[in-house]
Amino acid sequence: MAMLHTEHAFPFAVAFTLLMVSSVVVGCSLTDVPALDRARTSYEQAQQNEQLNAHAPIAIYEAEIALRRAEHAWERNEDREEVEHLAYIAEKKLKIARATARQTMAEAQIQQLAAERETVILEARSREAEQARQGEEARAREAERARREAQEARAQAKKLEQLIAELRAVQTERGLVINLGDVLFESAKADLKPGAIRNVSLLAAFLKEYPKRSVLIEGHTDNVGSESYNLALSQRRADAVRNFLIQNGISPKRIIARGYGEAYPVTSNEIEVGRQQNRRVEVVILREGESTVQRKGSSN
Amino acid sequence: MPKQKIQASVGVLAFMVVCGSMQISGCSSGGLTTAIISQAELAVLEAGVRKAPDYAPLELRLAQENLDRAKRAMDLGDYESARRLAERALVDAQLAKAKANAEIASRNAEELQRTIEALSVEAEKSPRRN
Repeated sequence: MAMLHTEHAFPFAVAFTLLMVSSVVVGCSLTDVPALDRARTSYEQAQQNEQLNAHAPIAIYEAEIALRRAEHAWERNEDREEVEHLAYIAEKKLKIARATARQTMAEAQIQQLAAERETVILEARSREAEQARQGEEARAREAERARREAQEARAQAKKLEQLIAELRAVQTERGLVINLGDVLFESAKADLKPGAIRNVSLLAAFLKEYPKRSVLIEGHTDNVGSESYNLALSQRRADAVRNFLIQNGISPKRIIARGYGEAYPVTSNEIEVGRQQNRRVEVVILREGESTVQRKGSSN
Repeated sequence: MPKQKIQASVGVLAFMVVCGSMQISGCSSGGLTTAIISQAELAVLEAGVRKAPDYAPLELRLAQENLDRAKRAMDLGDYESARRLAERALVDAQLAKAKANAEIASRNAEELQRTIEALSVEAEKSPRRN
């Protein structure tokens, strides 16, 4: 302790008083160990840190204990080195507290994020499942459509079969041939017989169902009368059928009507039964897209 | 807690009780200090295992230095210094470990955040098949 000379006493007293006053205003007496003051300040800051208190309460408490030990050492006037040492320990404990809080907060965040990741993955999966389902539905619709188309195709084929059976059509190299027999009541008139009407109606229905098909209508006679007369007669027979079809909505472009007269008998003309058979109209249903195929030997 | 750590802690505690009640200045003699040095050594080892070399190298080195100086002081018979240095080594090692743990946790959180972002981006990119 330095000797107090009177010329130093006054400034010293002032300085001392000021120090005491300022200490009171601050609320806590400054020590002569800077390390301890620093430790106090750090601790006070830490106390005001809400996050720190929430996430590392134990570590803060340990820092508090360490600071108290330093304070007590200073109050008991222990070795300056010891006070500094304990202040060092206290500061380090505070740093540990801050690191601990950081760790705890990060771990809490990890929990949250892990849950979030699960959500994202689940959403992605359900979206994938949805897309797969939609793909499945589209495929199913497609399969249904194909099935229905096949069914319709089969139904159409069946209709054709039925028609062929009803009309007693015969498949030849020219196409399906239907023998309508003698379609007219009398040679002079152009009205179709009821039986013929029924068959030609069926034919009209068929042609409506299969719009790509065309028909050849061929009229024939027996050998009674002149060739020219029979030619005209057979043409009239063929035209009668043609007109009926047209009246029932079939385009004329799909129908060719020809008379062949007595040129192509199917049986002998010697007896009436034979002649009856020769008096006929034949309808040739051409294949799809096919246009007229001339009867062999015809010059028309 | 590993067995050695418990033994070291008990040893330190015992000495502290004795020294506290007797208030003999020379009490921070060989035995107590040795116990603290053991504790500090263990703490430094543990910090090394917990990736402190990667994430808190400065703190760990400080701990090691203080530990070495503590041992040297012991050899020289300066028990007071040795104890203080050992205590510092211990708290430094603890800090190194705490800092490493905090660093690892932070990085894991960041990694997870990045993963989530990547997943979200990928999910949005995937085309909607009709």
